[in-house]
Amino acid sequence: MTVAVRRRPGLALYGLAGMAALLALVELLPRIGVVSPRYLPPASRIAAALADEAGTAQFWAAVRDTLVGWALGLLIAVVAGVVIGVVIGSIPVLRAITASTVEFLRPIPSVALIPLAVLLYGTDLRSTLLLVVYAAFWQVLVQVLYGVADVDPVADETARSYRLGPWARVRYLLWPTALPYVLTGVRLAAAVALVLAVTTELIIGAPGLGAQIAVAQTSQAVPTMYALVVVTGLLGVAINLAARSAEHRLLGWHQSVRAEEAA
Amino acid sequence: MRRYIAGIATAVLVAAVAGCGSSGDSGGTATENGTTKVKVGVIPIVDVAPIYLGQKKGFFASRKIELTMESGQGGAAIVPGVVSGQFQFGFSNLTSLLIAQTKSVPIKVVSNGVASTGKAGADFGGVTVKKDSPIKTAADLAGKKVAVNTLKNIGDTTVRESVRKAGGDPSGIKFVEIPFPNMPAALDAGQVDAAWVVEPSLSAITATGGRVVAWNYVDAAPNLTVAAYFTSTKLLADKPDLIKSFTAAMNESLSYADSHPDEVRDIIGSYTKIDPAVRAKLTLPKWPTEINRASVETLAKLGTQDGVITGTPDLSKLLP
Repeated sequence: MTVAVRRRPGLALYGLAGMAALLALVELLPRIGVVSPRYLPPASRIAAALADEAGTAQFWAAVRDTLVGWALGLLIAVVAGVVIGVVIGSIPVLRAITASTVEFLRPIPSVALIPLAVLLYGTDLRSTLLLVVYAAFWQVLVQVLYGVADVDPVADETARSYRLGPWARVRYLLWPTALPYVLTGVRLAAAVALVLAVTTELIIGAPGLGAQIAVAQTSQAVPTMYALVVVTGLLGVAINLAARSAEHRLLGWHQSVRAEEAA
Repeated sequence: MRRYIAGIATAVLVAAVAGCGSSGDSGGTATENGTTKVKVGVIPIVDVAPIYLGQKKGFFASRKIELTMESGQGGAAIVPGVVSGQFQFGFSNLTSLLIAQTKSVPIKVVSNGVASTGKAGADFGGVTVKKDSPIKTAADLAGKKVAVNTLKNIGDTTVRESVRKAGGDPSGIKFVEIPFPNMPAALDAGQVDAAWVVEPSLSAITATGGRVVAWNYVDAAPNLTVAAYFTSTKLLADKPDLIKSFTAAMNESLSYADSHPDEVRDIIGSYTKIDPAVRAKLTLPKWPTEINRASVETLAKLGTQDGVITGTPDLSKLLP
């Protein structure tokens, strides 16, 4: 990321210009009366509300709660997705047995499980985890399955000829092949996990930024509500940047990344 | 790499075990030094100020109850949460509780929650219209589009009663479901002709020139009991002493809140984000300790008449 930015400063500038234009628009629209400032306050008022919020311990506790739910959920989903994906992917019979089940379970929207989460866990962190893990798990699993299927058959035959055991084949053949897929899965899952963490908090009131947004909404504290929404957006950007830079670092050796750097 | 995997696996295991640790007691009523931990499902609105105030004043701690408030928007999670034992107590409006009772949901009211002020012109909820609306009285609502927060609940039955009492025909009213916080905007944009709102949305509408045309809680019954705290019949049977202590603490909190409006306005700032200027002026509800049984009977009657409640609720099973 840093490399790309240094090489092409224009891109970063365009990005910032886009943000500035958006902020100017949000400042302008309510001021010239296109939308009522009561329902969309100008950017400067949202910023002021954000500054007020940032001064409270409650806000930081909410940020922490959301990030804990996100990180823990993502971690569980990634570990489960990778382990289960590798096992299913490397045993053709298992893959055949589970294929239709996976295709059935995967499209179920996590939010449809909210009533279940409430019945099982009420409004605490475990409800958030249930929904986050459910949504993020499939992202990882499906990528891992693709990754495992992508192993070069000739390389696989060679490994078998050299009598590499199952563990060695996973370690030296399957894992390096699947890693780019896994990391793509993790990046997708990281974004989905944040969406679900905030959604759960917003709808069932599990502690976190989402719950604070709901409270601001019921309190008619409109600028504060937008300020908190902005924070969730910033978290999303930060998570995406972190995931991309991790991907670059872990896959520095891989041709997909090397090609991008050379461009 | 193997070490990394082992590390991640350990981390997950620890997290899972830690998760189980906090959930070990499904009843959530673990006792430590004789203190019972209790979770209460509430909605973060003005109505539940007494329980927060009572907690701050130590009315619960003195009875060895440690409160945790679990607040969710709209409160959809509260009744299932109480029945499944995630919460020991919950806060809900009486029409919802009556509907639950006719469906044999095992719950029982333990204390009053909130009541209407009983004063037309000064209640905490009402039917509002835009400044320039042709609607002048409740009777004019006939045939109009009216927003309520939940369809087939306390809002539409009481609004119908307002229209009926004003001599209008409520049968043609088209109710639409809009969350309270969105009602000022919906009214402004003309998506609805009128909106039934409670504080602080009521203040938001009147502050911009909106008018109240019907005080539906006042019209429905004198000193209407709007909502109550309830528990599951299972907990009632298992821990009668806890229920007694909770009811006593709740009653002390309700009376204290009713006689200390300034402290109520302060405490509202601790669990909501209502603007301090609005908080200082909004109309507070009443918090009597007695449940107005006659008003609950009226709600049941209205609910059955309007088809909101199917069957006849058994008040002796629901109310203490």
